Amino acid sequence: MKNQNEVSYEKKIVRQYLLLVLTLIFMLVTLVAGTLFFKFYRSDLVSQAESNVYDKYFVMITDNYKSDFWQSVYKGAFEKGKESNIYVDLFGEQFSKDYSVEELMEIAIASKVDGIIVYANETLEMSHVINKAVDAGIPVVTLYGDCTRSDRLSFIGVGSYSIGKMYGGQIIDIIKEKRREELIESETIEERSQIKITVLANADTKDTGQNIIISGIQETINQDNVTDSEYLVSIVAVDNTNSFSVEESIRDIFLGEEIPDVIVCLNELSTVCTYQAVVDFNMVGEVSILGYYDSEAIVSAIERGGVYATISIDAAQMGEYSVTALTDYHDFGNISEYYLADVTLINQDNVEQFKKEEGDD
Amino acid sequence: MTKFLNRPLQFKIISVCVFANLIIFLVNIFLILGINSMSQDMEMVYQDNLSLNRLSQALTKVQDSMTEYLSSKTSESLEEYYRAAQSFSDLAQALDDTVTDLTFSRMERNIRYMSQNYLEEVAQTIEAKRGRNVEKYRTYYESSTRLYEDIDEYITSLNIELFAVNSGNYLALLKAFRRFEIVGVTVMTLVMIGNVLIITSFVKTMIMPLKNLADSADEVSGGNFDANLPQAVYHDEVGIVINAFSKMVVSIKDYIEKLKESMANERYMQEKELIMEANLKDAQLKYLQAQINPHFLFNTLNAGAQLAMMEGADRTYEYVQTVADFFRYNVQSQKRDVTIRDEVTLVDNYIQILNVRFSGDIGYEKQVDERLLDLVMPSMILQPIVENAVNHGIREMAGAGRITLKVYRRDDSVCISISDNGKGISQETINQLLTGSFSHIEDSYDNNGIGMDNVISRVRIFAGYDDAIDIISHGENKGCEVVITLPMGGEECIE
Repeated sequence: MKNQNEVSYEKKIVRQYLLLVLTLIFMLVTLVAGTLFFKFYRSDLVSQAESNVYDKYFVMITDNYKSDFWQSVYKGAFEKGKESNIYVDLFGEQFSKDYSVEELMEIAIASKVDGIIVYANETLEMSHVINKAVDAGIPVVTLYGDCTRSDRLSFIGVGSYSIGKMYGGQIIDIIKEKRREELIESETIEERSQIKITVLANADTKDTGQNIIISGIQETINQDNVTDSEYLVSIVAVDNTNSFSVEESIRDIFLGEEIPDVIVCLNELSTVCTYQAVVDFNMVGEVSILGYYDSEAIVSAIERGGVYATISIDAAQMGEYSVTALTDYHDFGNISEYYLADVTLINQDNVEQFKKEEGDD
Repeated sequence: MTKFLNRPLQFKIISVCVFANLIIFLVNIFLILGINSMSQDMEMVYQDNLSLNRLSQALTKVQDSMTEYLSSKTSESLEEYYRAAQSFSDLAQALDDTVTDLTFSRMERNIRYMSQNYLEEVAQTIEAKRGRNVEKYRTYYESSTRLYEDIDEYITSLNIELFAVNSGNYLALLKAFRRFEIVGVTVMTLVMIGNVLIITSFVKTMIMPLKNLADSADEVSGGNFDANLPQAVYHDEVGIVINAFSKMVVSIKDYIEKLKESMANERYMQEKELIMEANLKDAQLKYLQAQINPHFLFNTLNAGAQLAMMEGADRTYEYVQTVADFFRYNVQSQKRDVTIRDEVTLVDNYIQILNVRFSGDIGYEKQVDERLLDLVMPSMILQPIVENAVNHGIREMAGAGRITLKVYRRDDSVCISISDNGKGISQETINQLLTGSFSHIEDSYDNNGIGMDNVISRVRIFAGYDDAIDIISHGENKGCEVVITLPMGGEECIE
């Protein structure tokens, strides 16, 4: 009996110790876990504020940082820069106000960036700011649009002549098709109509690339035994001085008396606008559009037959080249003056394949 | 731990409470620290915006003072410009110049460099103005103004960007704060439950020996001294009480044992004494019986009486007859109770014998209510009293001594009074006699061996109350009266 009592007493004391230790452990664990959690939470906040620190700072200045084309160029440049611990900034997107390319250049120069990638043009003002930047010790490469009269290090663009040849090839296909149709339909050669080709060129630029494309088109058609009477190439200047004028200028073409058979668009925006106008004026099939760039909207338009063909520029490659040019300059001091990005043609024959490849990427 | 458990009860209870409180206090401190640091974070959230506003103000001041100097060229404005430029430069230097993934950090960097550029331009403008180079300072002014606008725009953009980021941070902080609150309350609750459990268990363990003690005490109070005594595990107050209790129980047991033993001893002794007394009495009786055969004495005395009658000596005959009667009564009176009549007759006989012995010296008077004579009373009472009166009261008075015997009724009692006119007894002696402390001298060969104390005690036992016998004496030579008061109603007991 006595023993039993003692045993139960000891049991109780053991239980009590256990409880005490458990509570203490619980408290300690909670406190330690709480402290750790808190520390992690704090360091999370701090790391949010710190993240990666880069060695160099390049800026990319374009006229429209929102477009798909420039976004993919930027993406390529950014990825490339990251490899060498360089941050490439798409300048302008952080401002609440809309700045022109030249103004952005001024700001970049004042900000003493380590390199500028700019979508340039042949204006005097542009060459002036480029020279100013170079004077301030900032290397400048021009991207897609060149400014040949400036001290820019290098130009990264597409082979405008080969683009012109591609367009020319497509136009010959269109002409041949028309000829076949007319042979069946009309009796005499006189009744054959002339095929009107309109190239939409930016009005404000003395862009050499544009001119090269146009001459490329003409040369290609000429080489292919097509007589002058069969086609007519006209250049329509599209007013791109403000944001909405492009669309208006294109509508103007359709509202005119002579509606062209083939419209060659030399940038993404005009392609989209033209396609929309063709749909709106119910002229799908009558007007063949040769587009520019491979944005989703354009590719799906090719699938539906609204756009005859488009040029796919490897935008990411262009971005990569621009960063490579700048880094090479920093590393070696001199670089090649031209970098050309790959260009491919997309029409209904290879659009499926292209889409598949895009999907894979 | 054992050391702790051996401490006093008060210390233990206080330390358990203090311990529990300490835990809660610790948890609280942690919570407060957490809340404090979080609220500090919250305060700092919009700090960047504030400093940017200051930067913007300083920038405007530089521009304004420069414009003022250009337009008025006062030394105050120049001074103002230097001050403003210094404070703006300080603020701009404080900006971070690292390039990171974060937009606002890159913007900060750009603002910093642009500010440096701007300050240089402004300094050149001021310099040109001092040198009165109108053409130059115009150009510088324009370019610096353009820069000023750009910077201002940049700062505004950065402000917006930062505000967005900070708002996000603020929301995250707020969320974390709420979560922290919930976690804190949960932890507090759990710790409190733990504390309650600890205190409960501690108090239970401390009280448990007391409970055991209470059970044992209950059992002991129920008379079971062999109850299972709890063991004192720790030497706190409870342990001391338990030990004391155990000792007490053991010593009570011992004491009871001893008491039992001594009582048994005493009883044994008493028994022995009684037996011895009885044996003594028996021996005495046997001795007496052996000394005189009363029948032989009576027969002898009767023979003497007959002889006296035959010889015609009537007085001798009567005397011998009286003596014989007297002795026969003495022998007969082995039985306890007799009638008053018997007793009175005995007194008559006794006086008659004495008168023969002392040739009629004693005067004897009798006032007896005959109706009361058949009542019962103890034997051998009146004769010893009369003998006392004769021996101590009137012996030396020669013919003048007188004994008066009265039997009368008073209320519901029978009174038997024996009075004399002798020496009397002092009050002191009376008291001694009545209380039984009188030491009588056993020298009297001339009595029949029965002392006053024996008489008094027997009368009292028979009557059942203490004042059944009273001795009255009014002083020296004024005589003495012994009054025996017996209850009526002993009639049926007549033999």
